[in-house]
Amino acid sequence: MITMADLSLDQTPPLDLPLRLFLTAPLFAASAGAVLMIDAGAMIATRWSPSALAATHLITLGFLGQVMIGALLQMLPVLGGVPVPAVRRVATSVHLLLALGAALLALGFLGGGAAALASGAAAAGLGLAVFGLVTLMALWRARHAHASPRGFPLVGLALLATVAIGLVLTLAVMRRVTLPRLLDWVQVHVAWGLFGWVGLLILIIGFQVVPLFHVTPAYPRWMTRALVPTLFLALCVITALPLLAPAVGSAMGRATHGVIAVGFSLFALTTLILQARRARAKLDATLLHWWIAMGAVLAAVLAWPLGASDQLMGLWLLIGVGVGLPSGMLLKIVPFLCWLHLQTRQLALGKRRVRLPHLQQLIPNGPARVQVALHGSGLLLASLGFIYPPAAHVGGAVLALAALWLLALLVGATLRYRAAFARLTVADSDQRTA
Amino acid sequence: MSANSAITDTLTADHRRCDRLLAALDVSGRSVDWSWVVRETETFCQATEQHFLFEEEVLFPPLEDVSPLATGPTEMMRQQHAQIRQLMEDLTEAARLGDAADYAGLSETLHFLIQQHNAKEEGILYPLADRALGEEGATLVARLGA
Repeated sequence: MITMADLSLDQTPPLDLPLRLFLTAPLFAASAGAVLMIDAGAMIATRWSPSALAATHLITLGFLGQVMIGALLQMLPVLGGVPVPAVRRVATSVHLLLALGAALLALGFLGGGAAALASGAAAAGLGLAVFGLVTLMALWRARHAHASPRGFPLVGLALLATVAIGLVLTLAVMRRVTLPRLLDWVQVHVAWGLFGWVGLLILIIGFQVVPLFHVTPAYPRWMTRALVPTLFLALCVITALPLLAPAVGSAMGRATHGVIAVGFSLFALTTLILQARRARAKLDATLLHWWIAMGAVLAAVLAWPLGASDQLMGLWLLIGVGVGLPSGMLLKIVPFLCWLHLQTRQLALGKRRVRLPHLQQLIPNGPARVQVALHGSGLLLASLGFIYPPAAHVGGAVLALAALWLLALLVGATLRYRAAFARLTVADSDQRTA
Repeated sequence: MSANSAITDTLTADHRRCDRLLAALDVSGRSVDWSWVVRETETFCQATEQHFLFEEEVLFPPLEDVSPLATGPTEMMRQQHAQIRQLMEDLTEAARLGDAADYAGLSETLHFLIQQHNAKEEGILYPLADRALGEEGATLVARLGA
């Protein structure tokens, strides 16, 4: 059946809405770097240190959460052919709730008290719940368009599971509810957040954008069909573990984590092989971020059976993948959106002669590669910290710098956009007076 | 190829062919043979133009006849073709001038613009055309490149 939903093709939100989220996100990655710079010793010693918990939530909610919501605001109408309902109100409230929530949650972990922790969890949870609902509504209305990527709803469910368990954990930590085997439930929360929200999302986005961005062959069909549901099932098994006898649970846990490790390494290897066969030869910052991220996945998978610490694997996955890949995406998405809005404006005004800045004038290649270099060396230094602790402090500082550099590049693109927009408008009034 | 996905299958394959033509135009090396770049840019622009003309003159009119609701999307696609054509002109100009920085930036911009245009066609418009035109779709796409 053909519905109106199929027919409205151009429902992209106003540029300022995704940009707000994209421009605030790097501040949270920079804060996570700063926390590592200040308290690297404790973070290397234990994953339970307040600083490690704070940095983790700054990255997953503050950085990754905001980037992904900004990208989804843009993608949902394009893929599904329907606008996000009440987009300005939804985007503004989700942005504020998530930014405030991530900041308060981090402060709460860093000794800011139970009130900060509780209000942070509530704000972030509410923000994500609102966005999750709106997304599901949009996907439901677009169900005839056959365009939404396979497995998208599973990522939404993974995010909901992470948030729901996170909220229960917050109540348990505040002693409002009693939760037997609290630490086991933290593992479940981490699994859903890291492998579900971050991991599955990257799989689905990778299936879509890797072939498009660098003109590679498509991922094998079995992989795009089976991998996300298999990993989702593995996460469901992990959720049941705290309900089982500890001995049974721990054996099943190892087996299930094995499935997850194999699944993500298959994705990482396939991605690297496809990218080696790409038709667009140029090495750009986005491709370099993909290589670092896939290298980080493979390193974590190899280090796991060797008994590497959770902190080290967490560092590789959270920074290498969770910070790196979205950074690489932002370096493309932001200039492209700016350019697209400029050209649309230009055509509407009939100003063919006004020259628009192209993508590489909005974010030049050189400084974008410096951003990758800062990110990569920060990650390397932080990893060295596990052998030679002082290196981790420097690593944190360099990672913070990489995030601020990213912010500067994005702000630069926005300013060039505004200047070009002003030129278009001026040329418009010139022509009218002439 | 099943009868009711002939349009989607054929035109998607043609998108991939044009993608590869554009992707092959790398000017990042030290010594670039600009006469080759000019020639290959022309090959790419012609392939894309042929695809656009097929859509605008062969595919869209019967689609708009059988499914008046499709007029919105086809009009949008025509506008995007205009956007792409404008960039192809700029790209051709940069090739003639031998301006590597401009050429690389314009080619990347064009690449992303085409990708998001293709995603809309492949995800929404072509499946709609296959449903609306049925068996006639296969007859129409036989005329692509003819």
